[in-house]
Amino acid sequence: MDDRNQENLRALLASFFDAEQVDRYAEDFQQAEQVLHKHPAPEPDDRLIANIKAEIALSLSRRRVKRFRRRLYEAAGIAAAVAILAIVSLQFSEKSTKQPGNADYTASLLPTALWESDDIAADDADLAVFTAEIEQIEYEIRTLESGEDITENETTVTELEMELAEINTDFWKG
Amino acid sequence: MAQDDDLAKLIIGCKDGSNECFSQIVDMYANRCYGYFYRLTGNHDLSDELLSELFVKLVEKIGSYKGGSFEGWLFRIAANLFHDHLRGKQRRKKLIEARQGQIESDSRAPAKAEDERIDRLQIQLQRLDTDTRELILLRYYSQMSFKEIARMRSEPIGTTLAKAHRGLKKLRQLMEG
Repeated sequence: MDDRNQENLRALLASFFDAEQVDRYAEDFQQAEQVLHKHPAPEPDDRLIANIKAEIALSLSRRRVKRFRRRLYEAAGIAAAVAILAIVSLQFSEKSTKQPGNADYTASLLPTALWESDDIAADDADLAVFTAEIEQIEYEIRTLESGEDITENETTVTELEMELAEINTDFWKG
Repeated sequence: MAQDDDLAKLIIGCKDGSNECFSQIVDMYANRCYGYFYRLTGNHDLSDELLSELFVKLVEKIGSYKGGSFEGWLFRIAANLFHDHLRGKQRRKKLIEARQGQIESDSRAPAKAEDERIDRLQIQLQRLDTDTRELILLRYYSQMSFKEIARMRSEPIGTTLAKAHRGLKKLRQLMEG
């Protein structure tokens, strides 16, 4: 195996060593590399090379599928972004065409009366009454369930639960 | 020059995912890379494994090759693979076991006279320290210039030259002795 950089070796050595050393070093390099040349390493098996090529082919086909999928996902992402953008811009344009003062929306969880009311003191008082009633009923339920009041029966519990549910509903309805 | 152009075309083909171009690269470099691995490890199975890994890495990393010496780039991957191998405890253990069993188990060995000659060089190579052995084999099998090797090893070129000279001289003495 000839070294393609061999011709530069002397020039390279000359930049580090004196003329006498350059000759000696160059000769040493040449002779030692001949030792390696005379003792070639074994070559790879043909089956190994065939296996490597097959593995490369497999890897390339996997890579192609991967690339295709990635492009597909990118396209899907772009399409989704465009769709979202279109929906949002449509909503904006609809909103801007509506006349002002047409309130279509109300709070879904808070009672409308409370939501629209400006009387904070009165609302707080209502809230306090509701809370007290709920707590009272919860206490009664606990008492019944723990068996402290054995004179009452299961119907009473059901009634109380229904009452609680009713109060809850009333509260949220306002 | 024409060879360089052919290689450049092959590399472009590889980057485009051409199976044929990769096959040609394998044909061009398999022997040299195998020789490098075999001389470093002294083991056929391990060299087979490292050679396979090298070309798998080549497929994975070809996109990151930005020009310059292709041999230098390829052998840098090969050297890294060998270092990874050395770092792996299990693989190291396997190597030692394989070395012990190599003489009696190698059914693919060449003719006896050649085998003895190869083994003699292999034995003497093992008597050099790992760093010197790697340097000598990298120089011989990669055909890289000392400048490239020094850059790859991140050391001054004078150090690389001195180490290579010392190592080669010692190897020659060992072979003659």
